[in-house]
Amino acid sequence: MQTFKKAWRRNAVAYMFLSPWLIGLLCLSLIPMLSSLYLSFTNYDMFSPPEWAGMENYTQMFEDSKYLASVKVTTTYVLLSVPLQLMFALGVALMLNRGLRGLKFYRAVYYVPSLFGGSVAVALLWRQLFGGEGLINRGLALFGIEGTNWISSPDTALYTLVILAVWQFGAPMVIFLAGLKQVPMELYEAARIDGASKFKQFFKITLPMISPIVLFNLIMQIIHAFQAFTPAYIVSGGEGGPLDSTLFYTLYLYQKAFTHFDMGYAAAMAWILLIAIAIITAIIFGTSKKWVFYQE
Amino acid sequence: MKKLRALLFSLISVFLLVGVVGCSSGDSSKEASGDGKDEKVEIRFTWWGDTKRHELYNSIVDRFEEKYPNIKVKREFGGWPEYWEKLTTQIAGGNAPDVVSMHQFYVADYARRNALLELSDYVKENTINQGDFPESVVNSGKVDDKLYMIAQGVTMSGLVYNKKLFDDLGVEYPKQGWTYDDFTAKVKELKAKGIWGVQDFSGGQLQPNFRYFARSNGEDLFTEDGKLGFEKETLVKWWTMWDELRKAEAIPDAATGTEYESAPLEQNLFVTGKTAIHQIPANQLYLYQQQFKDGELEMVSMPTLDGGKQGEYIEGAYLSITEKSKHPKEAAQFINFFVNEEKALELFKVEQGSPGSTKMADFVKPLLEPAQTKAVEFIQSAVNNASTAPYSPAGVTELEAAFKDSASAISFGKMSVKEAADQFMKQAEGILK
Repeated sequence: MQTFKKAWRRNAVAYMFLSPWLIGLLCLSLIPMLSSLYLSFTNYDMFSPPEWAGMENYTQMFEDSKYLASVKVTTTYVLLSVPLQLMFALGVALMLNRGLRGLKFYRAVYYVPSLFGGSVAVALLWRQLFGGEGLINRGLALFGIEGTNWISSPDTALYTLVILAVWQFGAPMVIFLAGLKQVPMELYEAARIDGASKFKQFFKITLPMISPIVLFNLIMQIIHAFQAFTPAYIVSGGEGGPLDSTLFYTLYLYQKAFTHFDMGYAAAMAWILLIAIAIITAIIFGTSKKWVFYQE
Repeated sequence: MKKLRALLFSLISVFLLVGVVGCSSGDSSKEASGDGKDEKVEIRFTWWGDTKRHELYNSIVDRFEEKYPNIKVKREFGGWPEYWEKLTTQIAGGNAPDVVSMHQFYVADYARRNALLELSDYVKENTINQGDFPESVVNSGKVDDKLYMIAQGVTMSGLVYNKKLFDDLGVEYPKQGWTYDDFTAKVKELKAKGIWGVQDFSGGQLQPNFRYFARSNGEDLFTEDGKLGFEKETLVKWWTMWDELRKAEAIPDAATGTEYESAPLEQNLFVTGKTAIHQIPANQLYLYQQQFKDGELEMVSMPTLDGGKQGEYIEGAYLSITEKSKHPKEAAQFINFFVNEEKALELFKVEQGSPGSTKMADFVKPLLEPAQTKAVEFIQSAVNNASTAPYSPAGVTELEAAFKDSASAISFGKMSVKEAADQFMKQAEGILK
């Protein structure tokens, strides 16, 4: 008891300074997370008190065809949008890194889509662009091509959202750019003297040198992509249609919770998503030893 | 040193206290309020609708506040789909508005989950006066024989068309009391003249379109005890009818239909002149008429099956009080003002249907625009054919989603009618346990 008091006396100030953060953690993260974990084992329609249901919510998922559809849609989206977006971001970063005049201006301009990207306004704009009589089809019409209705055809709807994600390449681009600036110039000079082609310089110098940044961007964007919600919600009018082709995991979770009154199931879905993202992140970290090069 | 420690501890406890209060839901602030007339009371009222309705309801609420200066009404509103999502969340979170707009299709879901207040006490003590309401209208606000909603406006579904367009195309007007065979023939005839006959109503919401079809077949969407009320055969017939129209290209293709399905009134297929006939609730007739500077709109009854029954049932908008309301009395006063006072009805007219009170219905009649008068006449003639419709069981929103999915699987050519119907019936069984 005595030692506890002593420790408390010594650390009280520290706890005081930590208290805003501690309160935030407790109220805004820990308590909601724990209640969500509890709810995931119950049947809870948000009106009457939750009823204990054991593992029912979790087992039910594997028989739910809509759930499986949402997993497929989200996986496709992540597998397509993340690599494309990173390649695009790296490409633009390389371009901007070539000692351009007015670099600050271009950097800002290319970053702009990312500022708007997650917003409702842009998703609405996307609807207009890719609609049956939208700008894209008008453009195609000039070349005599008759485009389909991109947003409302089940075969193409998801790809318009992939394009939307790729278009928001600003955040990883800025990080890539910062990384590229750190690569020592003398490495390139040496390579040039040895007669290495630009192509070789990129793969043998640039890429290894910025590989920690690639890792960082990769993980951030994967997490981000798994949690994508706004574009699908707005573009499909909240339904994930046509034919579940844009039924993102988070969108289905939202539907379960707020339109089908099934908060328990939604909570279980949230936990599965969390676990899935954790596993994928762990795998990437595991493999990173093989391909990430830390300069030491 | 001791002093400093005391100071620290008191600071920490303040922080902790702040934290605890922050954690609790924190609506204890506006707890107290007696029946004292002078005491300021705030209630919240929410409704669905478009911009025009928001302006209108805001002015009605202003007039209420003028009459009851001690009651302040906070207003919340949104479009139809968001309205229900928000309401659910608010009720679950225990911060629902006091007075909420209600609809027959969803009321049972809320009432049976004890989210709504039973209103008969307020009617008995005459805070809400239903003396001028026809019995059928009063009853339409009851679930399991308990009164949960007061009718704001009663309306009926029908089909609307532009007379001038039909004249120009040389197509005869649809006739009152027509059948589904007449309907499909008319749609094909319009196609032959170069315009899509009607929007694809095979999926989407379960009512009114499919409900009229099922009722005409002597069935309904649901049974009284909350089971599915129709056979697979009926669904197959319904989707086959639309599938044939789609294959004849007499209705828009699936992609176009999907694109326009959530379009606002000003931009939907009918208003933009892409389709010739459209299904609407009669109270919206004047909103549509405003979009057609050229030509007069006319309404025709929903079709029936050849030799089948009349499908009509009463629809409309209602007001309810939420169970957790802290000021139910003031909320009841507000509802009474909305449905019984000339000052309110003068503005409301037939915004969400013909007023529930017959006295008020007579009062608004001379104030109406021609299109509104036409709507009232349509509603009155259709009400004569109306019979009761069972309430929707819990899970109806999920069922509606399944209905929509199966219908789009057909329209996008991913499933045959039979496969889609099989799929829907199987899902329905799981949802309506």
